[in-house]
Amino acid sequence: MMIGMTRAQRTLYSVLGLTGFLLFWELSLRSGLLPGSLVPLPSSIPGVLWLELLDGIWFDVVRSSLSHYSVGVLLGSTLGIAVGISAALLPRFNAAHAWLARLLRPIPPLAWIPFAIIWFGINPSAAAFIISIGVFWINYFASYSAVHSIDPGYDEVARAFGQQRFLARLTKVSLPAAAPGILSGLRAGLGQGWMTVVAAELFGIPGIGQRMMEASSLLATDIVVVYMLTIAALYATFDFLFMVVQRRLLRWQS
Amino acid sequence: MTDTSMTMHPVLSARNVSLGFDGTTVLAGVDLTLHPQEFVAVVGASGVGKSTLLRALAGLLAPQSGRVDIPAAITPDTRAWSMVFQAPRLFPWRRVRGNVELGLEGLSLSKAERRRRALEPLALVGLDEFAERWPHTLSGGQQQRVGIARALAVQPRVLFMDEPFSALDAITRRRLQQELVELRRRTEAAIVFITHDIEEAVLLADRVMVLGNGEMDQPARVVETLEVDMPLDDRRDHPEFAPLVQRVETIIGNH
Repeated sequence: MMIGMTRAQRTLYSVLGLTGFLLFWELSLRSGLLPGSLVPLPSSIPGVLWLELLDGIWFDVVRSSLSHYSVGVLLGSTLGIAVGISAALLPRFNAAHAWLARLLRPIPPLAWIPFAIIWFGINPSAAAFIISIGVFWINYFASYSAVHSIDPGYDEVARAFGQQRFLARLTKVSLPAAAPGILSGLRAGLGQGWMTVVAAELFGIPGIGQRMMEASSLLATDIVVVYMLTIAALYATFDFLFMVVQRRLLRWQS
Repeated sequence: MTDTSMTMHPVLSARNVSLGFDGTTVLAGVDLTLHPQEFVAVVGASGVGKSTLLRALAGLLAPQSGRVDIPAAITPDTRAWSMVFQAPRLFPWRRVRGNVELGLEGLSLSKAERRRRALEPLALVGLDEFAERWPHTLSGGQQQRVGIARALAVQPRVLFMDEPFSALDAITRRRLQQELVELRRRTEAAIVFITHDIEEAVLLADRVMVLGNGEMDQPARVVETLEVDMPLDDRRDHPEFAPLVQRVETIIGNH
């Protein structure tokens, strides 16, 4: 909490900041300080959004993007968590894949676009593949370090109370103890997914990214801004919903 | 220790147990036989290997040589042994009852029986009303009581206690010591109790096993085992209490 400010004051300053920014943007364009061909008027955005909604384009592109996003995030998160936890729990597996992980990790997800096109063609699977790569690494490292840093005392307790089997210790100690770290990774992956989704669609796969490319080629900057705000809103919604789930799952934390 | 317990089969027998790491022996030649309801306290200077010995007796660590036998649990809904740790080490992601149920999972018990078996020891330590609370809402003393309930829930034949009261404040410690005296009367379990507090050892145990270092570079060993021949009630006021504490202190000091 910021010292010396009430909640109402904070909200007031936030509203003032945002309104001030929009006003400055609007006035800069109207006064000719900024060229209208390069930047849209903020006041025109709601109308353009309304037209996109009326035409059904907004729903089509958002549905497409959401489908790549969901598949990519689901695939990347599941594999990332599974491999990360296995690496932390199985020393032989960890040693066997450590160099491979070090080699592949620095390659950005977008560098896989050529292979995505060769392997899948220009279709939603390629986008989902690219999204999954970025999400995979975030979840991999988050899960690995979360499991790796579990207090070994918990494992001793499990063994002292008859939970010797690997599966019992995995479900009763490793997963719940590492849950805060794993969930942080998942949340970061959700964000990373949105960053990649647009880029993955820029090469022609239907979705928000493609719509933005089309609009920019016609200098329809207002449409571009509509979809930039759409991504921001979708990300915020997903993040909020995830936070609700996260809080529920981690209600045991002090 | 009752006379009948001597005629029973031992619930733990350790023969010539040696412990160490990386080829170095730190503790050698430990023999220990425990019968039901016996209480042995193990004392010794810090770092002498008390906790390591406890883990070897429980089978959590493999001894370098020698052997430890703990007969299997009598019934499929109990366990042969359980442990109370120095820190309560409750799973923060489980409620109090869930923590006490840990050792019961995997035994031949229905969910309802497991619940009942968890609530019994919680009532014994006075925390049955806290069953649905999260561990972080409990005080240190309450958490350690849950740790004791968790260990009692499996109705062990041997209960290992690794300095269970050392992290508690003096008042809570004293209260839990008194509760353990009461608890001894209600459990069949034999207890191996590690402590660095000599008064605590003499207060609670039937026997006090003193570990000490031998000559330079020699591994630690059991230097003496003393019988505590006093009634459990009000031991602190017993005329033999202070001299016995003094004697153990002298033995530790000489090693």
